[in-house]
Amino acid sequence: MAVSADDILDVVAQEALVDKAKLLPDETLESLGIASLDIINIVFALEDRFGVVLEQSEFEGVHTVDDLVKLIQGKTGE
Amino acid sequence: MSAARVAVTGLGCVSALGQGAAATWAKLAAGQGGIRPVMRGFRDDPRYTVDGPAAAIEGLDGAALEAYAGKRVLLQMDPVAAFAAVATHEALLDAGLLETPGQLADASVIYGSASGGNLTIEEAYGRIFLKGASSIHPLTIPKYMGSASVSQLSMLFGIKGLAFATSSACASSAHAIGEAMHMIRAGRAQIVVAGGSDASISFGSWLGWKALQAMSPQTCRPFSAGRNGMILGEGAATLVLEDMDHAIARGATIYAELAGAGASSDAFHLTQPDGEGAVKAMRQAHADAGVALGTPALISTHGTGTPVNDKMEAEAIGQVYGDALARHRVIATKSAHGHLLGGAGAIEFLVGLQALRAGLAPPVLNYLGPDPECDLPLALGAPQPIAAEVLVSNSFAFGGLNSVLIARRV
Repeated sequence: MAVSADDILDVVAQEALVDKAKLLPDETLESLGIASLDIINIVFALEDRFGVVLEQSEFEGVHTVDDLVKLIQGKTGE
Repeated sequence: MSAARVAVTGLGCVSALGQGAAATWAKLAAGQGGIRPVMRGFRDDPRYTVDGPAAAIEGLDGAALEAYAGKRVLLQMDPVAAFAAVATHEALLDAGLLETPGQLADASVIYGSASGGNLTIEEAYGRIFLKGASSIHPLTIPKYMGSASVSQLSMLFGIKGLAFATSSACASSAHAIGEAMHMIRAGRAQIVVAGGSDASISFGSWLGWKALQAMSPQTCRPFSAGRNGMILGEGAATLVLEDMDHAIARGATIYAELAGAGASSDAFHLTQPDGEGAVKAMRQAHADAGVALGTPALISTHGTGTPVNDKMEAEAIGQVYGDALARHRVIATKSAHGHLLGGAGAIEFLVGLQALRAGLAPPVLNYLGPDPECDLPLALGAPQPIAAEVLVSNSFAFGGLNSVLIARRV
C-alpha cells in the first residue's frame, strides 16, 4: 500500500498536537517540540493507520520530518 | 478537644449521565438513565468488540482542563486518569481552590480505582500478541498502575500532602472518602480531595465480567423482579472534603457534612456477600455519625441489580432499620449511571448529596415489579419529594469489603 507524505503528516500533526503547516521536510522533530514519547505515540498511530509494525530501534536515525516520512513510506512499500 | 467536623465543599463527576455535577443531577432529577447499546471496538477488529448494554461515556470534554493545564494534558493518560482529572478539576473549581496557585500545597488526595488502566494494558499486550511487535509503549506501566490517577491529580493541582490510591473493588472510592474524613478529624489535613474512577468498558474487562455471569444482557433493575445482573459503567467522581471551620472561615459553599463512616470486611468469599459485614458497617456508620436509626434517611444502596447482592442488601437493610425503615426512602442509581466500579461509591455519594439537598429521590429505573425478597421502600416512578435529614450511602464490594458513608444536611 502506497502511503502519501500528506497522510503521514496528518497523523504526526494529530498525535503531537503540532500545526501541520509547520511540518516542513527539513525541520527537525526536536525543533518542533516533538519529544521521544510523542514519537512513540506517532509511531503507534502510524502502525494502526497503515498496518505496519515499527520497532523502536528503527527510529534511531530519524531526526527530521522527512526522515520520518521516508521510513514509513519504506515500510509501506512506496 | 473534640474531633473536627468535615464539610463537603466541592463536587465533580463524569459518567454516562453526562459531564459535570449539574448535568448529572439534571438527568437523575428527570428520571433519565445512561444505559444504552454500546459497540466499542478494539483495533477496529470485529472479533474484539464490546457489544452489549453499558453506561459509556461518549466523548470526554477536556476543554476546561486543557484551558487550565495546557492542551497536551490528556495525551499521556489512560481514560481512568483522564476521567479522574476532569472530575477533580470541576470539584476544585467548584470549591474555589484553583483561584490562587499554592492553595492545595498542604492538601491531600485519596483516590480509588478497582482495576486501573485496562485500556492501556490491552493496547500494550494487543501489540505483542496480535501484531507480533517486540516492544510496547514506555508509558504502559505508569499509565495502568493503580496509583496513576492519584499521581496525575497531585501533579496537576499541586497537591503536596499525603497522596495514595485505595483499591477495594467496588468500594474503592467510598473507602477513600471515609478515610479522608478520618484524616481531617485527626487534624492531619484541612483539605482532602477524595473520590475514584474506572474505565473498564474494554474488551478484556468485558469478557471478565461476562465470565463471572454478573452482567445483565438487558439492563440494570435493582431490587426488581426479573433482575438479572449489573451493567458496566465508567467515569469518575470527586469530592472536596474540608475541615468545617476552615470551610466556614473562607466562605466556601458547604454542600453537606460528612458525618460518619463505617467499614467492615466479610472475611467470607471473593464474590459472594454474607450480609453480616454489611449490617456491621451500616450500624458502625450510624454510631460514628451519631445519627439515630429512626432519623429520616435517604438510603443510597449499593444496588447492583444482581439477584444475590440485592437480596443480601435488602435483608441487611431490613435487619439494621427494622420498623424504622418505613421512614426512609431507598434509591439505587446504578440503574441510571451503571456500575462505575472504583468510582461507584463516590458518584453515588455525590448524587445522594444532591438528592438530599434537592429533597428529591431519583427513581430506581427499569423496575418491573416487586420482589418479595427485596422488601424496601424504593423510590419508584416519577422522582419523589423526600424529607430526609441524612444520606446513608452503601458500598459492598467483591471480596466482602464494605463501606458506608453518612452525610447530614447543613
